[in-house]
Amino acid sequence: MTDKNTNSKYSKKYKLSLTNSKLFDAIKMIIAILIALAITFVILCLVSDDPINALNTILFGPLTKRRYIGSVIESFIPYAFAGLAAGVLFKSGGFNLGAEGIFIIAGVVVAAIASAPVTTSSILHPILCYLGAMALGAVLMIIPSFLKAKFNTNEMVVSLMLNSIYAAIASHIVRTYMMTAKSNSVASKDYLATAKIPYLYEPYRISICLILLIVVTVILHLVMFKSRLGYQIRLSGSNPKFAEYSGISAFKLAISTAAIAGVLCGMGATTHLLTQSSFYTPSQSLVGIGFSGMLLAMLGKNNPIGIVIAAFLIKYLEQGTAVLYFVDKSVPAEIVAIVEGIIIMLISSQHFLRRLREQQLLKEGLEEHAE
Amino acid sequence: MLSSLFSTLFTMKFVQTVIRLATPIVFAAIGTFVAASTGIGNIAIESIMTFSALAGVLGSYLTGNAWVGVCIGFIVGICTALLIAFFSMKMGANAFLIMIALNTFADSVAIFTLYQITGDKGTTASLATPILGTLDIPIIKDIPILGEILSGHYILTYICWILVILLFILIYKTPLGMHMRACGLNPDSARTAGINVEKLQVFSLILSGFFASLGGVYLSLNYLKIFSKAMVSGQGWMGIAANGIANGNYGVLLLSALIFAIFRAVSIIFSSSTAFPVDLVGAVPYFSVFFLLTLVSIINYYRTKRGKVEEE
Repeated sequence: MTDKNTNSKYSKKYKLSLTNSKLFDAIKMIIAILIALAITFVILCLVSDDPINALNTILFGPLTKRRYIGSVIESFIPYAFAGLAAGVLFKSGGFNLGAEGIFIIAGVVVAAIASAPVTTSSILHPILCYLGAMALGAVLMIIPSFLKAKFNTNEMVVSLMLNSIYAAIASHIVRTYMMTAKSNSVASKDYLATAKIPYLYEPYRISICLILLIVVTVILHLVMFKSRLGYQIRLSGSNPKFAEYSGISAFKLAISTAAIAGVLCGMGATTHLLTQSSFYTPSQSLVGIGFSGMLLAMLGKNNPIGIVIAAFLIKYLEQGTAVLYFVDKSVPAEIVAIVEGIIIMLISSQHFLRRLREQQLLKEGLEEHAE
Repeated sequence: MLSSLFSTLFTMKFVQTVIRLATPIVFAAIGTFVAASTGIGNIAIESIMTFSALAGVLGSYLTGNAWVGVCIGFIVGICTALLIAFFSMKMGANAFLIMIALNTFADSVAIFTLYQITGDKGTTASLATPILGTLDIPIIKDIPILGEILSGHYILTYICWILVILLFILIYKTPLGMHMRACGLNPDSARTAGINVEKLQVFSLILSGFFASLGGVYLSLNYLKIFSKAMVSGQGWMGIAANGIANGNYGVLLLSALIFAIFRAVSIIFSSSTAFPVDLVGAVPYFSVFFLLTLVSIINYYRTKRGKVEEE
């Protein structure tokens, strides 16, 4: 009897079934991606003369040139940081949407430090840029979360208004104090050579920021799933009332998650500016990264590793559409937004494919009963 | 220079500008309000406005009739609202996430559609679009001051104020409105009383999408006369903020929408002068929303705190 019991437990553990929630999530994700690609194909059929080739280019275009692969890796890192920041906030149940503005205003600090001869050391200079942006990011991200936690202000509206205000302040500071005479647009001075970030692998132009991202992701994963703070964040995100009754201070938690998110935004802004440009343009350089980060957090289900993978895949798709736009002008790169939107809506739907899973659960339950 | 700027603030023209700028914010505000009355926080107002602003222009361009454009605009708005209702109620997704996602890729979807039809990624300026005009009210327009304030506005502005009154009657004077408010106050009690909560919530979302889409159509077919990228620029959020300040009070809702419109008008007038930093003047309306919303929540916080102390 006992032998049979352990045996059935053993077999259940390794049986491929939809009742395994991780596997179910994975299957759900794959089906969502397939549906999104199918809809994309329909759209491509409508707009392009050669839809099969177009889809082929989107999916495999980035692999055709070394430059493209490098570009995907270089550009996805700041987005991954933005996604991690949004993931921490969403996981704690907060709806602070301030990442966009913080990226832009942190850019001012980065540009100011990077273009000033603060140090002659090429190791210290980028580090100072990072520290400045991270500190500012943490302080500014706390504002909406503080107002929400203390006075119950609508953090979503406040953070969005702050985004616009920060963008205006950034533009004002660059216009009045940092502009060079030579350029017509509002842009900062060129960064000094000491502020450049060295390459990890020169032929593909991959910078050492990739290592930073991996380290941060691992730390964040450990914090989220192995530490007391992470447990509190997850608990108050999934059941705020229960968290409150178990003595978790919602106020302290809101401040600490906002600070973490702000630091991550600072990292993302610095990485983007120091690896992908030689000067800072407030109206272009960092626009949209913060908002994309929120979508990535939803795609990655607020799980740090999931977010990084999502960031890579979305940037890969974006590179694919960029390659496609290069050869076929009828398909603009904005088609990525449609793919992204469909995937997000499907995977955040808890009832998507639920019937399939329930049938399987029922079948297994009946089998167990029969035993 | 400065004094002349300030003197423009006290003219009839300024009042007219405020009324013009208030229209989309009021549309957004009543759109948020009607959804909030059944307990739904519709934060997708901004994206609904974007979608229907584009749909309105394209509909008007393709059919050659501006009113057909308006209809297509609000059909698109209602469809977006139904999409939200489908995913949040039927599919069990978090409504806020769906709406944040909608807001985030609204601009990209609009640009994609725009590019397919016009070949331009920025505006519909190249399209010969029939637009809606202004309306002179026969007798009132001849009355000196009142005529200048009330007459000669865009048609959708009048529709807006009519809808404001109709919504007031619906919410506060009809049984349906009372049921809707009951859902917002306590859905479980409403359900016990035999009210179909989900049905009313979907209904309020549809109304919300309808109002928001008229705000978008107003921008593209009446006020700016074209669709351009990022044209909604936070006006939907101002409506949401007005609803946050109002906290269920219809008068305060309209008043705060009007205050935001005044700040927008001030910002537009002052940005024509070189005496002020152009970037910061542009952010004045956003700052006014931030400041008012924070102030009201702080006042409410201390009021409830004092109330608790007095109770004890």
